[in-house]
Amino acid sequence: MNKYLASASLLFASVLLSDGPTLAQQGITDTEIVIGDVEPLTGPPALLGVAASIGHKIAIAEANNAGGINGRKIKYVLEDDGYVTARTIQGVKKVIEVDKAFAMLGISGSGQSIAVMPVLEKAGIPTVIDVAPVKFLWEPPRKNVFVVGQSYEEGIIHLVKYLADKNPNKKWGLITQDDDYGITVRDGFDSVVKEKKLKVVYSGNYKKGQQDFSSDMLQLKDSGAEVFLAGGIIAENIAMMKELEKLNVKPVTGIFWPGRVEPVLKLMGPAGDGIYAVDYVEPFAGEAGKAFLEKAKPLVSEAEFKGINRYTMSGYAAAKVLISAIERCGKQPTWACTISELEKTKNVETGVMAPISFGPGVRFSNQKLQIIRADFSTLSFKPVN
Amino acid sequence: MRTGDYKQTYGELVALVDSPPVWLWSVVLVLALIGAPYALNAYALSFVTIILITVVGALGLNILTGYTGLISLGHVGFLVTGAYAYAILVSKYQMHPLVGFLGAGVVPALASLIVGAPSLRLKGLYLAITTLAFSFIINTVILEARTLTNGARGIAVQRPELFGISFDSDVAFTWLCLGFAIATLFATLNIRRSRVGRAFVAIRDNDTAARVMGINLHAYKLLAFVTSAFITGISGALYGIYLSFVSVEGFPFLLSIEALAILIVGGLGSALGAVLGTVLIVLLPEATRLVFSLFSAQMDALFSTGAQELKSMLYGLAIILFLRFQPRGLVGVWHDLRRTWVHWPLRY
Repeated sequence: MNKYLASASLLFASVLLSDGPTLAQQGITDTEIVIGDVEPLTGPPALLGVAASIGHKIAIAEANNAGGINGRKIKYVLEDDGYVTARTIQGVKKVIEVDKAFAMLGISGSGQSIAVMPVLEKAGIPTVIDVAPVKFLWEPPRKNVFVVGQSYEEGIIHLVKYLADKNPNKKWGLITQDDDYGITVRDGFDSVVKEKKLKVVYSGNYKKGQQDFSSDMLQLKDSGAEVFLAGGIIAENIAMMKELEKLNVKPVTGIFWPGRVEPVLKLMGPAGDGIYAVDYVEPFAGEAGKAFLEKAKPLVSEAEFKGINRYTMSGYAAAKVLISAIERCGKQPTWACTISELEKTKNVETGVMAPISFGPGVRFSNQKLQIIRADFSTLSFKPVN
Repeated sequence: MRTGDYKQTYGELVALVDSPPVWLWSVVLVLALIGAPYALNAYALSFVTIILITVVGALGLNILTGYTGLISLGHVGFLVTGAYAYAILVSKYQMHPLVGFLGAGVVPALASLIVGAPSLRLKGLYLAITTLAFSFIINTVILEARTLTNGARGIAVQRPELFGISFDSDVAFTWLCLGFAIATLFATLNIRRSRVGRAFVAIRDNDTAARVMGINLHAYKLLAFVTSAFITGISGALYGIYLSFVSVEGFPFLLSIEALAILIVGGLGSALGAVLGTVLIVLLPEATRLVFSLFSAQMDALFSTGAQELKSMLYGLAIILFLRFQPRGLVGVWHDLRRTWVHWPLRY
C-alpha cells in the first residue's frame, strides 16, 4: 500500500513539476545545450526575423565548430510567430516548456517583446533581446532580460542632429508611420527640432501598410523641404524615394535602421543613392562587415547567406554575448550563474558593433551609433567620416 | 425499442439539454477543465486558455451571424474596443476589474449601435463591408485618441484580482476564462431558446416572413448587434489580459476571418458548433504538427519555422473541405453520429 502511495505521490509531484521550469538546469544534457528563439519567419517582417535568426545560427555554428560550450553542442530551437503577439506568447511558452530551452534569444518585434515580458520574468530564463530595442524592455531593468542595441529615440536624435549640423538653415520635412515606431521617430525628431530650432515645413503621417505615397511626396515637394526624414520601414521608404524620383526632387534624405537593409537599396535604384542612415552595427561595405561576411559564408547555407542583413549582425552579437556568459559558468551552468555572468559582461568584442557591456542593474548595452551613407553603385552603406 | 428522439411538449423543445446524461457529461467536462491546469504544462495550458477566450468571442459572433444571419467581417473591432475599454478603466483609471469587464461589454455594445444602424437597411455582402469598414475606423479612432488610449504605444494590462482571488498565475487565469466561457455558453443557449432567440432565427430564415409575424426587425437586429458586441467585448478584455499589453497591433484583421472560419467549421447557428469549431481551429495546426513530427523531425521543424503560412493554409483547407463535404459543420457530424448510435442497426 505504502509503495503505491509513494508511487502516486511521485507521479503527482512530477505532474506538478511539469507546470513550470523549476529546475534551473533545464535544456542541458551531457552533450547538448538548448537555446530558443521566436521570430517572425513568415509574412513581411520575416525580412528582419529570418535575418536575426541567421545571425544567431552563425554564432552558434561558430561556437559548435570550436567544440561547443564547455564540450556541449548548442541546439538552436526556432519558432515562427508570424508577427502575431498571441503567437509570440505561445511560441515562447513552447520553447521554455516543451523544448526546455536553457536560454532565449530574439525576440520578434517591439510589441511582441513587450507582451512576452511577464512570461520571461515569471520563467526566469536568461534572455538576450536583439531585434527591437525599446525602452520598456530595460526600464525598469528585469533580472533575467538583457537587451543588445540602441534605443530608437537615441538613434533618431543622433541622425537628425547630424543632418541638422550638416545642413544648417534648411527647410525640413518628416513623415512617420501611425504606430509605436512612428511615434518614437516623431518624438526623437521633435526633441531635436526644439534644440536646433529646425524649420519644419512638412510633417506627414501615414497609415501602416500604405503603399501609395504620391500625394504625400507631392505635398513634400510643394512645401520646399530640403532635408527629409523618411520614417517608413521598408516598402514605404522605397515607395517614397521612387515618388521623389518621379517628381524630380532629391532632398537630403535620412532613414532609420529598421529599413537600413541592402535589398532596399536595390529596390530604390538610383533614387536611393546618397541617403543617410544611422545604425549601431557595422556596414557590410566596411572592413568589419566584410570580415563578418567571410566568417558567415561557410557557416550557413547559400539561401541563408543571401538573407543576411543588419539584423544578422545584431543577432550574431547577442548570441555571442549569451554563449560567452554560459561558457564562463563552467561545466554546470545554471540560470542564476548565466544571469550573473551576463551582468558581468564587460567590453565583449563581437566584431560587428562596438564592445558590449552590461552591469549591476544595467540591462541595456547602449551601443555607440554611427552615420552611414548609401552607395548605389555598390549597393551598400558606407561609414561617413 | 427506441425509434427516435421525439419532443412531445413545448418544455422539452426549449430545454437546455435533451437528456440527463448530457448534464452529467457536461459536469465531467467542466471538472476536467478545472483540473487540466494541474496536468498540463504552460504551453499546453496556453491552448486551453486561448480556446476558452475564443469560445466567448465565437459565441458572441454566433448570436449575430449564426442566429440572426447578419454577416460581420469587423468583429475584431468589438474585440479591440472591449480590450481597450478594460485597459483604460483598470490600468489607466485604476478601477475595479469588475467595472473593467462591465465596460468591456458596454463600450462595444454602444459602438455596435453605430454599426447596427446601417444593418437595418443592409444585408449580406453590403453589411459585411460596412462592418469591415467599422473595424478599420475603430483602429484609427484608437490611434488618434492618444490621451485616452496612449495611441499606438498601447496600454499594459495586469492580471486581475477579483473577490480576493488573484488571477495572476496561468492556472488561475485559465479558471477565470473558463468561468466566462461557461457563463457565455449558458447565456447564449438561453437567448436561443427565448422569445428573443426565436425572433433572431426567424429574421435569419426569412426577414419578410418574420416582419409579417410581428417581429420588429429594427429592434431585434439592433439587439443582436448589441448582445453580440457585448459578449465579444468581454472576450476582447480577456484576450487583452492574456496578451498583458493592449495595442491595435495585437488585434489583426485576421481574427475576424478566423472567427468566421470557426462558425463555418463548427456549424452556423449552433452554440455547440461554435465551441467545437473553436477547438478544431485553435488546435488544428498544433495537432497537424504533432502528427507530422511522428514521421519526420524535418516536418516538425518546417511547422515550427513556417508555422504561420502553414496555419493559414490549414484554415483555408478546413473551410473548403467543410463547405464541400459537411456544410452543417462539426455539429452536423456530431448529430449524424448521435443519430447513427440511437438508430443502429437501422439507418433512420
